[in-house]
Amino acid sequence: MSEILNESIVALELGDEAAGGYNPPAASRTWYHYLLLAGAILFAAVSVGFVGTIFWSSLPTWLHHAGTLLGGKGWASPLGPFGGLAMITGTFETSLIALVLAVIVGLGTSIAIVFLIPRRFRNVIATLVELLAAVPSIVYGLWGLLVLAPWMETTVNPWLNSWPFAKAIFGNPGQEFGTSLLLASIVLGIMILPTFVAISREVIAVVPQDLIEASLSLGATRWQVIRGVVLPTAKIGLFGATFLALARATGETVAVALVAGGVANVQFHLLYPGTSIAAWIATVFGESQGNEIAALMALGVLLMLLNFGLSLVSRWLVRRQRRVLALV
Amino acid sequence: MTETHSGTAVTASPNRQAIAMQLKDVAVSFNGRTAVRDCTFDVAKNRVTSLIGPSGSGKTTLLRALNRLHDLTSGAKVSGHILLEGTDVYRGDLTVTELRTRVGMVFQRPNPFPTMSIYDNAVSGLRFNGIKKKALLDEAAETSLRAAALWDSVEGRLKVAASNLSGGEQQRLCIARALAMDPEVLLMDEPTSALDPIATLRIEELMTTLKSRVTIIIVTHNMQQAARISDDCAFLLMGEDRAGELIEFDTTEKIFNNPRDPRTLDYTLGRFG
Amino acid sequence: MSDMTEIQEPKEVGNEMRGEIRRISSHSRARRLAVSRMMIALCAIALLVSAVPLVMLLYQLFKQGLPVIDKAFFTTLPSTPSLIAPNATGGVSNAIVGTLALTIYASVMAIPVGILVGIYLAETESKLASSLRVIAQTMAGAPSILMGLFAFSFVVRDLNVGFSAIAGSFALAVLMLPVIVISTEIAVRNVPNTLREAGLALGAKPHVISLRVVLPASASGIVTGTILAVSRAVGETAPVMLVIAGGFTNSWKPFDPVSALPLSIYENAKSEWPSLRAQVWGIALVLVVFIFVLSLSARIWASRKQQVKN
Repeated sequence: MSEILNESIVALELGDEAAGGYNPPAASRTWYHYLLLAGAILFAAVSVGFVGTIFWSSLPTWLHHAGTLLGGKGWASPLGPFGGLAMITGTFETSLIALVLAVIVGLGTSIAIVFLIPRRFRNVIATLVELLAAVPSIVYGLWGLLVLAPWMETTVNPWLNSWPFAKAIFGNPGQEFGTSLLLASIVLGIMILPTFVAISREVIAVVPQDLIEASLSLGATRWQVIRGVVLPTAKIGLFGATFLALARATGETVAVALVAGGVANVQFHLLYPGTSIAAWIATVFGESQGNEIAALMALGVLLMLLNFGLSLVSRWLVRRQRRVLALV
Repeated sequence: MTETHSGTAVTASPNRQAIAMQLKDVAVSFNGRTAVRDCTFDVAKNRVTSLIGPSGSGKTTLLRALNRLHDLTSGAKVSGHILLEGTDVYRGDLTVTELRTRVGMVFQRPNPFPTMSIYDNAVSGLRFNGIKKKALLDEAAETSLRAAALWDSVEGRLKVAASNLSGGEQQRLCIARALAMDPEVLLMDEPTSALDPIATLRIEELMTTLKSRVTIIIVTHNMQQAARISDDCAFLLMGEDRAGELIEFDTTEKIFNNPRDPRTLDYTLGRFG
Repeated sequence: MSDMTEIQEPKEVGNEMRGEIRRISSHSRARRLAVSRMMIALCAIALLVSAVPLVMLLYQLFKQGLPVIDKAFFTTLPSTPSLIAPNATGGVSNAIVGTLALTIYASVMAIPVGILVGIYLAETESKLASSLRVIAQTMAGAPSILMGLFAFSFVVRDLNVGFSAIAGSFALAVLMLPVIVISTEIAVRNVPNTLREAGLALGAKPHVISLRVVLPASASGIVTGTILAVSRAVGETAPVMLVIAGGFTNSWKPFDPVSALPLSIYENAKSEWPSLRAQVWGIALVLVVFIFVLSLSARIWASRKQQVKN
């Protein structure tokens, strides 16, 4: 849903410095300004509270069990030890594979939207991409669980296992797991695709027509124009899109909870079940108490740092892209 | 020299020079609405031909038809014949990519590729055309940069980003870029309108030297510039139907001193912009 | 004036070089054109591939969800199937009521504050404003489960309210807030400066201009943003699942436990009763249709206003 938003934010960043903005001198400040200021302060308070409360609740874990949380392999409810390594590796595995899938398909999609679709249909396509983004996580999870997982189990997994290097990537589970890290990665990839496309489309579309014409005038083929001029010019913004898609992948909760298998094992073989930080919190929180809650909150802090870091890097990259465009 | 009595264009090269490009009844329309029509004239080799006229007269539209840039625009239609050394540019045996290596273009605002260095910009045309050999690229880079009077300025810093150059230098880089493919014709769309007077002058001087190796067709809204640098002139004007048309084509000398059409005289005397 | 160099006579282009360039370029032309066509075709395929999951998903939703939906679905409370009555699933009225309650309470909390902050950001240039902007963008992309953790710590535990609708609404409000802030700011910024200047020229005070000129002009953008925020909140499971405890009644009371549509999907998706699993598709269908209708209306509303503006 925030895809439309992301698109607008990016469009804003890449476009002109927008209107508005005057700070009247203190003497002419009225109730109106104080009302706005109050709202702003409330928002600031909520944000600070957001970060602070979660961090505060997780303090016991950081003070006494930090090592276990970051490096421990097993999660023993209800008393501990609570090892978060499986969630951390699971998050990275699923997010990164999802990212690769989303970027490959998404880049081609964005190029097709900007260069192949006639202008009058662009709005329709944009709407379709938004609809894809509007489908709630739970519905993807449901579909993944009830439709894709059985299909994986009966058809896809055996086929994958028959590949020459299968054992190295996929492991060789004695049985076929429908819900696995691989399925979670695929579903995640589908979910973050619209995020990537929304931003990369915008970034590609604002490459100046000038440059495209100049390269065509040198005798370049269409693909050479795209690969040699458009994509390099848009490169920084495309990285921004990548980071944002990755950020979103790390945060997806229920879809992963439903299709990854929900098993707290450190696992590098994709056809085995696993979990991610967000999915694990969702899975076990309901039944947990005391120390376990603190540990889950600590996982939450990790997730927050990861997600916020990726988001901020992404925004910074998009802003730098703007500077590149300003040079043209 | 032939003359038609309906007041439309004079055809054939005024001095019977060798012909680089021929235009015959060329017209361009967008979604059915004509933007420019009745363009018939010959562009002589190794001369500077300018397209002049007030804004809206279709000069740039006509220019862009010459290297088939209108192919990009859906709804654009180019009729008539445009011949490059005898081959029809639209219907002949010429791929559009090959055409564009023989007819280069320089744009109004300098547009070097922002992510590339000076060197990479200069040889970008060759790279697009599949040339990878470093020796060739180096040689072509030096040749074209010298031809654009930029070599001495950038020789030591070829790997520097092109955006570090001044406006005039960037435009000369774009000229070098276009020259690197050794085209027969160089199209220039108001190449100095975004530059300061000194840079403008340098490029005008450059064009005088360049015409011995390429035929230049330049669109300019600056009449004095046309008078200074061009050998032949095509004057276009927007007609009642809001479509541009060719009024007169002749040597610059005649266009400015003794034009056939009264409208030409009005324009060159500055009676309308 | 270091670029005042001598105009060089064009160096004699080695005919050899010229010839080789021409040769290589025409030689490779066919291949390059073929590569270009192929890559562009691949991009078109990518576009089609992107569409496939959506189509498949919608197909399943309608195929499995439609049969399950009837009047009883909307009006009855859920029940548990048993061996003698394996299809006695009841309906999902508690979830519907719950979602409505949660959304309304969350909106009341988030919308006014969000609009205020959005206007603040658009009309102020201060350190606070730029920091808040970054914060809003970051929070908009934050994992929604964190909002659930926040609501748990703060509302359920510290305020000692317990698992309740209000806790869930709080989580959803924190989720909606950044979205409303950002879209309001964009909407207000999109109001052309000329309108403001006209107001100033007439001698109006800044706050009057804001209230009388800028706000009405940006209203449609603000409404769009609000609709987006609401449609997102309706579909979120993670923020609410930690704090509402899945009530089984049609209660609206803020301090009671409550259910929600996404939550009931989550709870029943893994059920061993096929009838419950089948019902879950119906809930998913209702949810998706509702959200689609909301976002399409937002889009149509936004573009119609854009046309009027143009």
